[in-house]
Amino acid sequence: MSIKTLILIIINSLIGFVVLILSLLFYNQFSKVLNDRILLQLNSIKTLKQIQVENLIQSEWNDFLNVKKIDTADLDTNFKIPDSILSLDGIHDLTPYHKEKQTSIGFIQSTNEGSIVKIIPYHKLKKILLERTGMGESGESYLVGSDYCLRSQSRFFPDKNPYKVKVKTKGVIDALAGNKGRGVFKDYRGVNVYSVYSPLETSYLELVILSEIDVDEVTLPLKKLRYRLFVLTLGILIVAVLLSLLLTKMISNPVKNMRKNLKIMAMGNYNQSDDFKKNSIEIKEMFDALANLKDSLRGAVNFSNQIGNMNLNSNYTPKSSNDQLGKSLIAMRDKLLEFRTNEQKSRIVTKRLLLDGLEKERKRLSRELHDGIGPHLTSLKFYVENNIIDPMKKIEMKTIVDSTISEVRLMSNALMPSSIDDFGVGATLTNFVRSIENSTKISIEFEDLTKHSKSKITNHQGINLFRISQELINNSLKHSEAKNIRITLSEFNDFVSLFYFDDGIGFKLETAKLGSGIINIKQRVEICNGTIVINSEQGRTTTFEIEFPIKNDL
Amino acid sequence: MNETKLIIADDHELFRKGLAELLSKHEDIKVIKSVEDGIEFMNILKSNIEAHIVLLDITMPNMDGFQVLKEMKNLSSTIKPIVISMHNDGNYIAKCAKSGAYGYLLKNADETELTKAIRMVSKGSKYFSAEISEKMINFMSVQSVSEDILSNKETEVLGLISEGLTTKEIASRLFVSARTIETHRANILKKLEVKNTAELIKKAAKINLI
Repeated sequence: MSIKTLILIIINSLIGFVVLILSLLFYNQFSKVLNDRILLQLNSIKTLKQIQVENLIQSEWNDFLNVKKIDTADLDTNFKIPDSILSLDGIHDLTPYHKEKQTSIGFIQSTNEGSIVKIIPYHKLKKILLERTGMGESGESYLVGSDYCLRSQSRFFPDKNPYKVKVKTKGVIDALAGNKGRGVFKDYRGVNVYSVYSPLETSYLELVILSEIDVDEVTLPLKKLRYRLFVLTLGILIVAVLLSLLLTKMISNPVKNMRKNLKIMAMGNYNQSDDFKKNSIEIKEMFDALANLKDSLRGAVNFSNQIGNMNLNSNYTPKSSNDQLGKSLIAMRDKLLEFRTNEQKSRIVTKRLLLDGLEKERKRLSRELHDGIGPHLTSLKFYVENNIIDPMKKIEMKTIVDSTISEVRLMSNALMPSSIDDFGVGATLTNFVRSIENSTKISIEFEDLTKHSKSKITNHQGINLFRISQELINNSLKHSEAKNIRITLSEFNDFVSLFYFDDGIGFKLETAKLGSGIINIKQRVEICNGTIVINSEQGRTTTFEIEFPIKNDL
Repeated sequence: MNETKLIIADDHELFRKGLAELLSKHEDIKVIKSVEDGIEFMNILKSNIEAHIVLLDITMPNMDGFQVLKEMKNLSSTIKPIVISMHNDGNYIAKCAKSGAYGYLLKNADETELTKAIRMVSKGSKYFSAEISEKMINFMSVQSVSEDILSNKETEVLGLISEGLTTKEIASRLFVSARTIETHRANILKKLEVKNTAELIKKAAKINLI
């Protein structure tokens, strides 16, 4: 079930329940109050009528007693009153004895001349009972005799003889039993009425007075109220539904958006940047947190991209101490860095071993030529000296041997000057430069500022410095068209600096041929932990500044 | 006529034999011993053998010619060493001369030069051929070691500083890197016990360095 439906159901059922309960309570309360009010009013009306009727009867009775002279003419014609009744002095309900059954409350007084009878005029009673002030549309007060027949005119049957109407209702029965009371029950019409009743007993008179009003009339406002309450409830429910719809939209839309975002992120894309309505602080905070999450993920993604490109100097700050992703990325970077450093180290070591092997082999060859073939050649010369008799041949042979010896000496020196071992790189370069100078027109000057016997340049560094110089001179001679070459080798306490200058045509570092020896030179600098600065542009003088560190801990 | 008694110290047998054979033609020179390395030579030297000259190779196994020269100097040996070597570089020659060699011959020296050297040395003089001498002097000339407070280079740098040149200008004029000049300058300041250039110029002028 979606969150929207859930919220709708919960909120609306709650509101509906509350409104219903309130309406019912209100309705009940109202109807109870109305009941009480109606019954109270009916009671007061009934009491008033009762008192008026009683007063009427009493005053008529008194008149009767005082006057004692009554015209009895129509009495005789209309009534057939039994003697048993006539013999009883007092007030009687004489209706049953009337020919027309007209309501007749009569007084009987026995005198010497027989009984005197007087009938209260019906219109007087009628006037009292039909006075309906405060009785609304359906209210009435009426009298009922002990024979359950109506004694006063019914409001609803104005043309009917009241005596013909039977009123055997709950109230009448109860009142005839001598009780006062009130209640809601069916009246003589079979219509529900509010009713207040009490017996009216004077002398022999046995009557019941009732004041009644139709339930329908009384409950008309209640019905109206019920209708209004219903409309109100409906209105509230509609408003509630609309409000809750709005509310659920407010809540569920960001949730939906969040879900959408998270789905996209789960697919690995952290770059989408939809703008959302943020209609409350919490939702704003939630989206801010999402943006933060995206940011940090993007940062991690960028960082891992950098790592992927082997750009290992890039940095990353973990978002918190719990940033496992960031931490493991950093760990990965460190491992890679270590790996690269190790690889670099081993590459340098490999290069060094390679170059060292090369130098070793050259040295061996050089020694072989110098110390192996050289002495043989000198021996050969001695042999010629000793054993060749012919002076011409002797000189010729000696010349050949001498030039061979010179050649061998040159080759040996070119391969590896033994003077590096014996006198250091300074002296060796001095010799080398001198030998070059003799064979070229270019002016080459080498200044040896090493510390000679106190020099701390290692043999390894010496060989490399010599090779680098050799390479540089070679390059200058071959490519630079230089007229002057100046080389200075300066040794200090903590470093040795080889400075090389030529005034040739220069070269572009980027386009320098791979075979030009620059790579070779750089490799040699690298394996000696040195630095190299090359200043060269086309058409300008060229300088190389090479520095090797000198270790003093030995 | 006095006979010059000779020892040959060389690790090549063929060379020793050839040399001995060559010298055997000369009556005034007698090769009395041939050794193949420095240690062997030192052994016979210590046995108080009577000899005048040793023809000494530099490149030998176990103990090379330089060490032998050093040892002989230490022992104040009366045997006069003539170095006979394949090396024709000035530094070798100079070192040998410094170490007490009476002569320096290249191995492909002619018989005449060889005998001339032996005879001159046996008379007590030293023998360095014109070619050898030139190489030695050439080498020594660039090796001139200053005994002054400052090295030659440092004096040169100081001079340029006092002329008001910048480090860069001095570096390009002297064909060295800027860092080299900076180091030189630092060393000069240190040696003259001053803290800055102004003080340096003052002090240098005072002690007549510039």
